[in-house]
Amino acid sequence: MKVFVIDVARCNGCYNCQIACKDEHVGNDWTPYAKPQPDTGQFWMKVNETVHGSVPKVKMSYVAMMCMHCENAPCMNNCQPDAIYRREDGLVVIDPEKCTGCMNCVDDCPYGVIYFNDDLMLAQKCTGCAHLLDKGWSVPRCVDACATDALRFGEEEEFKAEIAQAQVMFAEYGTSPRVYYLNLPKKFIAGTIFDPEIDEVLIGAEITCQNEKTGEVFKVKTDNFGDFWFKNLDVGDYSVWIEMGGYLTQTMEHISTIKDVNLGDIPVYKEVKVAA
Amino acid sequence: MGEKTKPWRWQEDDLTVTRGSAWSGPGCHIGCGVLLFTDKDGKLVKVEGDPDNPFNQGRLCVRCLAVPNATNHPDRLKYPMKRVGARGENKWERITWDEAYDTIVKEFTKVKEQYGAESVIFCQGTGRDIAPYISRLAWSFGSPNWVPLGLTGNACYLPRVAGCIATTGSFWVADCSQASPLRYDNPDYKVPECMAVWGNNTVVSNADGFYGHWVVDLMKRGTKLIVIDPRLTWLASKAELWLQIRPGTDAALALGMLNVIINEELYDKDFVDKWCYGFDQLKERVQQYPVSEVSRITWIPEEKIIAAARLFANSKPATVQWGLALDMTQETLPASHAITALWSITGNIDVPGGMLPPPTLLFYGGGWGDELISDEQKAKRIGLSKYPLYQYGFVVAQPDEVANQLETGEPYPIKAAWIQTNNSLACMSADPKKTYAGLRKLDFVVGVDLFLTPTIVACADIVLPAATYPERDGLRFGDGPQRGEAINKVTQIGECKSDMQINLELGKRWNPEAYPWDNVQDMFTHMLKSKGVDYSFQELREVAPIYPPQEYKRHEKGTMRFDGEVGFNTPTRRIELFSTFYEQAGLDPLPYYKEPTESPLSTPDLYAEYPLVLTTGAKHWGMFHSEHRQIPHLRAIHPDPTLQIHPEAAAKFGVKAGDWVWVENSMGRAKRKVEITPIMDPRVVNADHAWWFPEAEAAEPTLFNLWDLAINQLVPFQPGKSGFGGNYKSLLCKIYKVAEEEV
Repeated sequence: MKVFVIDVARCNGCYNCQIACKDEHVGNDWTPYAKPQPDTGQFWMKVNETVHGSVPKVKMSYVAMMCMHCENAPCMNNCQPDAIYRREDGLVVIDPEKCTGCMNCVDDCPYGVIYFNDDLMLAQKCTGCAHLLDKGWSVPRCVDACATDALRFGEEEEFKAEIAQAQVMFAEYGTSPRVYYLNLPKKFIAGTIFDPEIDEVLIGAEITCQNEKTGEVFKVKTDNFGDFWFKNLDVGDYSVWIEMGGYLTQTMEHISTIKDVNLGDIPVYKEVKVAA
Repeated sequence: MGEKTKPWRWQEDDLTVTRGSAWSGPGCHIGCGVLLFTDKDGKLVKVEGDPDNPFNQGRLCVRCLAVPNATNHPDRLKYPMKRVGARGENKWERITWDEAYDTIVKEFTKVKEQYGAESVIFCQGTGRDIAPYISRLAWSFGSPNWVPLGLTGNACYLPRVAGCIATTGSFWVADCSQASPLRYDNPDYKVPECMAVWGNNTVVSNADGFYGHWVVDLMKRGTKLIVIDPRLTWLASKAELWLQIRPGTDAALALGMLNVIINEELYDKDFVDKWCYGFDQLKERVQQYPVSEVSRITWIPEEKIIAAARLFANSKPATVQWGLALDMTQETLPASHAITALWSITGNIDVPGGMLPPPTLLFYGGGWGDELISDEQKAKRIGLSKYPLYQYGFVVAQPDEVANQLETGEPYPIKAAWIQTNNSLACMSADPKKTYAGLRKLDFVVGVDLFLTPTIVACADIVLPAATYPERDGLRFGDGPQRGEAINKVTQIGECKSDMQINLELGKRWNPEAYPWDNVQDMFTHMLKSKGVDYSFQELREVAPIYPPQEYKRHEKGTMRFDGEVGFNTPTRRIELFSTFYEQAGLDPLPYYKEPTESPLSTPDLYAEYPLVLTTGAKHWGMFHSEHRQIPHLRAIHPDPTLQIHPEAAAKFGVKAGDWVWVENSMGRAKRKVEITPIMDPRVVNADHAWWFPEAEAAEPTLFNLWDLAINQLVPFQPGKSGFGGNYKSLLCKIYKVAEEEV
């Protein structure tokens, strides 16, 4: 059974996959696999740019979106003419000759990757370039055109190690996608620690971050710019406390990571020296 | 790598596959190895990267993947046409190639007889492979005026090349082992410990013969990045250090880094001792640039400047991949000089993984065939008297002076123009209305291009259809380390001809001795043989790509200089930190920083009225300058001209994402669509360049919406002292919403 593995950390957003898909499917009729993709409006493979955080704590990533070729594909549930089928290699294909354009699959797909073609009155989506695979290609066009090896395709067995660390999109829907993502951007909490009395950043301050629900604890030290980053956090509420010898410990609670968090410049103050 | 698995052409099922190089038309600065797939009717149906080509190793960018959409586009110019309405009416009539050539020869000759050959100017843009061919055409006609029309201060690539050659005797590029067919497996090569990506978004722009993904290759092999960019690019977000610089202040940053490296004695004392000239004067000069002052100028925190200087100096080797932002500062030569000093005093010259003097087959920037033009005619090159530096080794006319002369007719009138691969009004021209007025005064204008452009519709009397690269044979020289690459024709569209063929056929008519070849292939063979490459064009395509031999530390072996002596190709035989050449040309011999003409620091009153720093010209994946707007798949990636602005600034100026705004300064204004993004500094906005809407009405006054969209209406003709450099990337502006009825 085939799988896609998409390593977001490797993707520099070059759009080759998006354009290769266009090149392969626009103006080319690959019936019985697929009718031509329209010039515009449909993206069977689409690169989404995300920029998160706020200056100067900003990260940028690109996430390629495509049909997830789900094991439990919602699109197959309500297809009136039974036009959607799963191949032996696991790819999910809409038979363009059977599709009656009822649009149920377009509505049922939680990933928004099935498009409706008004001219042909057809639902259309990624076929995994099954027409090429059947001709002997080892990978679809998008994977072939990937300049950074961020997109890979092959037997599930070959990718065991990657899959063990991977995530799928909306796992909670129980669709069991065959597209696995590595290094999807998780949330971060970042900030800069400084001493306002001397107007200097503090290097080596110990920062602790705790997930208030699970109790999981992370620790980092501020770098040469007084900066700290907690990366790859799940969405949740966190407490952060800042400790440094000679300084008052500072605590911040209920920091939500629904969005990435830049706590900005955080002042910490020297301990009061009480005369003996 | 290097061992090819297949010949240059073969059959795959019902398709023919042809190996070749992708340079160029549509525009490109690279020339990747490509496989072109054609069907039984000779139609180009697919382009893939050539896995056997060491340059790109099978990879491409979206513009090549979409080349079939450009080559086969229904709106291509397909045959010669002459204007039948008034200029700007967009009324054309098909003519034959013979009639076109006859008319051009007749009109140009008329000008030559009445005013002199210099009154015909030969204008080129960038990215289509024509420099040798258009220079030969101009010189064979007798005109010394070959010019990038409207490009104030020649502010693209040439300043960096010129500055490097003036101070070090060579150009230098970041060594990604691109000069070796073995690439990263070359046993002599070392992966740089650190690369400064300075003033370019390499992976997107693919500029100057530098394939952007090489930076990613190096990152995978452990190279740390210092990214110097006003915007947080993808590379910046992966960098060890991102220095968010105020546009136009690069020289100050370089001088501040030199200050740290010299005062902390982090430089390579042995190399400086042996191979650098003027170190003591440089040391004295950089004392004017303490980090505190540089931080005030550049808006970069002091500690980041210090960290960058230390990381760069302590990395062995370290390298710099620099870009257009350096050329597009008004005082570009001292900026380049300072950066050249950075990699020189740290001993990164001509070492593996440092800075590489690119092996060259044909120095195309110098033109081809200057023996064809007399000294008397050469002396009439526009701009020579005002900018003496242009006499030393440079052969183009000075574009600001060309623009002035178009306006004034002094010291002699310009009467006709040959415009080839140059959509000047939409793209490179500063103050494009000035260029427009100048061109409209001419008696006769020829445009050569792939599509009708605003420049052609507004100004041309004859238009000739040029070929894209799958429609032509050719040689790939170009920027960076040169390789012998063959461009192989696989398809034919209408009556299109390659730029080289057009120039050969036209040049033959007015100067047959200058063009003794029957066809372009013979011409290419002559070019190869005259450069000591022992292949005919037909033989080259069998073996391409070929690589000239590469060795490091050439200055120690006597192979850097033309006379075979050790050292560099400068009067002192050393890297000139103190430039004898600049001193001779009346310029400051040491690097220095000059504030942009208009800026928060130089013109605070103007800044009060125009409270945002405006930078322009950043590339997008799917577009090469003013091209590709009519390719739907590429346009879908970036459908509208945008203005990138920080969320705080957007709130302050009351604009929302997707709003159309006017970007305005004292010179003019242009429309842009707001994109709110934290990648910007709140004080800086970034506007797309080179926009026009091919889908809009072509005829004037609409002219593809040009005058609503041209951001260079805010850019003045304002070159640096040397005649090099401009202010494209460091201006001031204000923004306000476009009224509902104007959207």
